[in-house]
Amino acid sequence: MAASGRYFLAEGFRGFTRNGLMSVAAVTITTLTLVALGATLVVAGALGELTSRLEAQPRAVVYLRDGLAPAEVAAARDRLSRLSGVTGLEFVSKDEALARLQRSMGGRVGVRDLLTRNPLPASFVVTADRPGRLRAIAAAAARLPQVETVGYGVQAVERLLAVTRAVRLVGAAAGGILALVALITIASTIRLTVFARRGEIEVMRLVGATAWFIRWPFVVEGAITGAAGACVAVIAVLAAYALVVHGARGALPFLPLGGPEQVALAVSWKLLLWGIVIGVVGSLLAVRRYVRV
Amino acid sequence: MVEFERVTKTYPTGVTALREVTLRIDPGEFVFIVGPTGTGKSTLMKMIYREETPTAGRVRVLGRDLTRLPARQVPFLRRQVGVVFQDFRLLPRKTARENVAFALAVTGTPPGEADARAREGLEVVGLTPRADALPGQLSAGEQQRVSIARALVHRPPLLLADEPTGNLDPDTSWEIVQLLSQINLRGTTLVIATHDKTIVDILRKRVVALDGGAVIRDEQRGLYAGGR
Repeated sequence: MAASGRYFLAEGFRGFTRNGLMSVAAVTITTLTLVALGATLVVAGALGELTSRLEAQPRAVVYLRDGLAPAEVAAARDRLSRLSGVTGLEFVSKDEALARLQRSMGGRVGVRDLLTRNPLPASFVVTADRPGRLRAIAAAAARLPQVETVGYGVQAVERLLAVTRAVRLVGAAAGGILALVALITIASTIRLTVFARRGEIEVMRLVGATAWFIRWPFVVEGAITGAAGACVAVIAVLAAYALVVHGARGALPFLPLGGPEQVALAVSWKLLLWGIVIGVVGSLLAVRRYVRV
Repeated sequence: MVEFERVTKTYPTGVTALREVTLRIDPGEFVFIVGPTGTGKSTLMKMIYREETPTAGRVRVLGRDLTRLPARQVPFLRRQVGVVFQDFRLLPRKTARENVAFALAVTGTPPGEADARAREGLEVVGLTPRADALPGQLSAGEQQRVSIARALVHRPPLLLADEPTGNLDPDTSWEIVQLLSQINLRGTTLVIATHDKTIVDILRKRVVALDGGAVIRDEQRGLYAGGR
């Protein structure tokens, strides 16, 4: 059957090249589909990473009102440290907060030069023994007279999860519509091959070739189309990601973005797999309709 | 070898091509199916290699009930029934030898063996010197020889020829019929659908005459037009 395998590959490739512009169109729409899918995977992946980091750090930030006397700060510290579930308490002064902001900007922007006075509040970073406690700790802290507002991870996590869901939904809708168009384009392209090879198909039927023997070259052509689309999509997604990461490292250095190599490993094989699935399904649609056995 | 039992075929267009045809062909026979164009000869041939199935009645070929044969078994039936057509149906970009080998290659024969058997096949039909010519470089008679070699390459017990001389001049027609006749003498059952009166009348083989889709005559050592 090795000879048959070579025959299927050769015929599949011949069909792909024979269809010229139609094959290019089929590859292009497959690429677009997979870029939508790849972008969704990458963005959802980055958001997921951010979410899990936030979840791993059960911390709340208790922002203090401006102009508190040291005694009032000490009182707040005392009250906070006695809340149940609090395992750590770190004071961040106004100056320290500004210094941290300056560090997170990577030193490219002189924060101090831009400001005439320091707008950042002093705060306590409260560490809880587990994430489930944060809501109660935040509520208790907010009732203290010295406290302006409380921010804690769960809020951010909930927002991030909502954004991630939205990204997935939009990605799935766009990907689904594009995939449908890709299927139709691939099926139409392969129909052209079926038409070009109708004489051969007729002879194959008459001399007793099995249905699958006749169909395999078309399935291979579909797989080639899908794989070609996937390769272009992988390159496009990785190039775009590399650009975004390069830009983001400067502007938003706190985002936990992986390098392009990590993303390539996580996304490439998925795109390749989906490309081949789309190609094969598209060819099967064409073959079911146009190759009578 | 072939049995038709009250076979009727009505196409979806409403045309009835065969009416209650009952027919039996035994191993080794040489049978002409005759009648004017449009009387169901081709439909009858197509029933034998299961290109068409009957609307009513039963068709048995080589011990198989074709009305019940699952679709996936059809290719294996066709490897045992060689078919030759008026228009040869050769692949224009393959040489004579490649056309014959193709029939073996697409049924899973390794290339080397397919090639060797294609050479043998072309020898049987007397076309060895033209083995590397493309169909376009061959005469009509030579092309029909290639198609006969292809039909025989699976060594089928049954060979069908649907108007095999329809595109040939009288001399070439006669050569082709001689060749088919020799193949029959070596044991292959042969069914020829034709409206070539001369050939039928010279050979005096069994003649099954169709008219309006019905068998109107079935006689041994028959003539095209009937009568004695």
